[in-house]
Amino acid sequence: MSKNTIPVGPFHPLLEEAEYFTLQVDGETVVDIDLDIGWMHRGHEFISEQKTFTQSIYLVERICGICSTSHPIACVHAIEDVCNVEIPERACYIRTLVGELERIHSHLLWLGLAGHFIGYDTVWMWAWKYREPVLQMFEIISGNRNHYGMMRVGGVAKDVDPAAVPELSKILDMIEKKMIMIAKVANDDPVLKSRLVNVGVLSKQDAINFCAVGPTSRASGVPADVRRDEPNDAYGLVDFKVIVTENGDVYDKLVVRVLEIIESIKIVRQCLDKLANIQGPILNNVKEIPPGEGIGRYEAPRGEVFHYVRTDGTNRPIRHKVRAPSFVNIPTFMASCKGIPIADALITLAAVDPCYCCTERSLKVVDHNRDSLNINLLAASRTRTEEIRREIHGR
Amino acid sequence: MDRTDEFLKEMGNKISEQIRKPKRLYFRVENKDLLEVVEYLFKKMACRLSTATATEVHRGIEVLYQFSHDASGCYFCPRVVMTDLKNPVMSSITPVVRGAEWIEREMFDFWGIKFEGHPRMEPLLAREHPKGLGHPYRFRRTT
Repeated sequence: MSKNTIPVGPFHPLLEEAEYFTLQVDGETVVDIDLDIGWMHRGHEFISEQKTFTQSIYLVERICGICSTSHPIACVHAIEDVCNVEIPERACYIRTLVGELERIHSHLLWLGLAGHFIGYDTVWMWAWKYREPVLQMFEIISGNRNHYGMMRVGGVAKDVDPAAVPELSKILDMIEKKMIMIAKVANDDPVLKSRLVNVGVLSKQDAINFCAVGPTSRASGVPADVRRDEPNDAYGLVDFKVIVTENGDVYDKLVVRVLEIIESIKIVRQCLDKLANIQGPILNNVKEIPPGEGIGRYEAPRGEVFHYVRTDGTNRPIRHKVRAPSFVNIPTFMASCKGIPIADALITLAAVDPCYCCTERSLKVVDHNRDSLNINLLAASRTRTEEIRREIHGR
Repeated sequence: MDRTDEFLKEMGNKISEQIRKPKRLYFRVENKDLLEVVEYLFKKMACRLSTATATEVHRGIEVLYQFSHDASGCYFCPRVVMTDLKNPVMSSITPVVRGAEWIEREMFDFWGIKFEGHPRMEPLLAREHPKGLGHPYRFRRTT
């Protein structure tokens, strides 16, 4: 049977963001996949090098709308790695509280989308219904449902009002009951199992070879979690389990995320208990950043977010490298998509919870004459569409 | 003996310009020794490649690989320095570490660094760009 090419994207109902996959298929089976990224031009790394350290934190918060506190936490860790500043205990708990709430809402977002992609919209409606109270918790804590603006070098910007803790605990109790219910459903539901078990398997060796991170690697039996391996903030002070499964299929990725939500709820509860009882400062002032290099990382919902900062003693970095988890998780498609039916390819692509705006954080479009966005995007888009049409239809 | 000491004992003769901080080891390695050092980190010590960072400084272009030793939370960071700014070339580690494919392509894209031995040395993010990016991160030099 002859091989055919099926393009997915650059604009496709499956993808909230613009990406382009080329599936080589033999009959109904995917035999090869090519990934073409680079459709979003934002130049975060370049812009960050022109901002002060405090401004950079706001900038990196806008790399991703979902994990909008993971990048700032990794960024402040990197800067703190350069200047060796101590973080007040209360600030540690606030950072961990915000980070774990973000994990809950991000995993629920993915769970809903995954249900939607396999045509199981009940999952989508239930997951997103219970994501909403988590966003309300963010609003109580920070004043915002997203882009919380909480992180600072040396601590956090805003304190959690002790009077709000009972209300936050009440919402958390409600979410916990529902998450336990969803975990039971995931464990029992024949539709989810028949649709996801043994689909898009990523072997442990492939996860290691591709340097995959987060639930993508933990579902394949790689027990790496920055929260345990390098316990910054309050992670060394709270109890939680690292969820690891062995099969590496889409179902295991779902199980890891659902169980991680329950672990996150436990962490959030421990943080709220501490915040109700301990008092103290939330920010240590950092007057200057010495010359040097710093590495900061944080276990974002999708895996390790990595920031590297190089400084020269001025108030801005001379190099700020950002690596989002999707940048290393997306190439695993080249292993997990081969040999599966076309119908399973889309949920396999979605199973790593890919975030393309994170992946392409640094692309910067320039005019060759000077540093400015000065190309005719409409003409470029039409040219490319015409090229794709010619490639596919041969005319 | 912690893992950093173990690494220094085995690979100490191949590295220079060590900067040692708690849970961080930055060091320079010559291009000819890079693959051996990387193979030791990835295969013997079971490190994971987090990413790699290119920086242009006065002495040349530096590529810093960041390997995470997850079991101990340490970072091992080999640094390669290329002084030929017009034609920066170095060895690719992708044949050893599959996960380096994209980041080396990104550095090729943004910095114009050629990685010898890379299985697919072509732009990553600007593959579809009508004119090519022209290595936008090479527009200025830093100290």
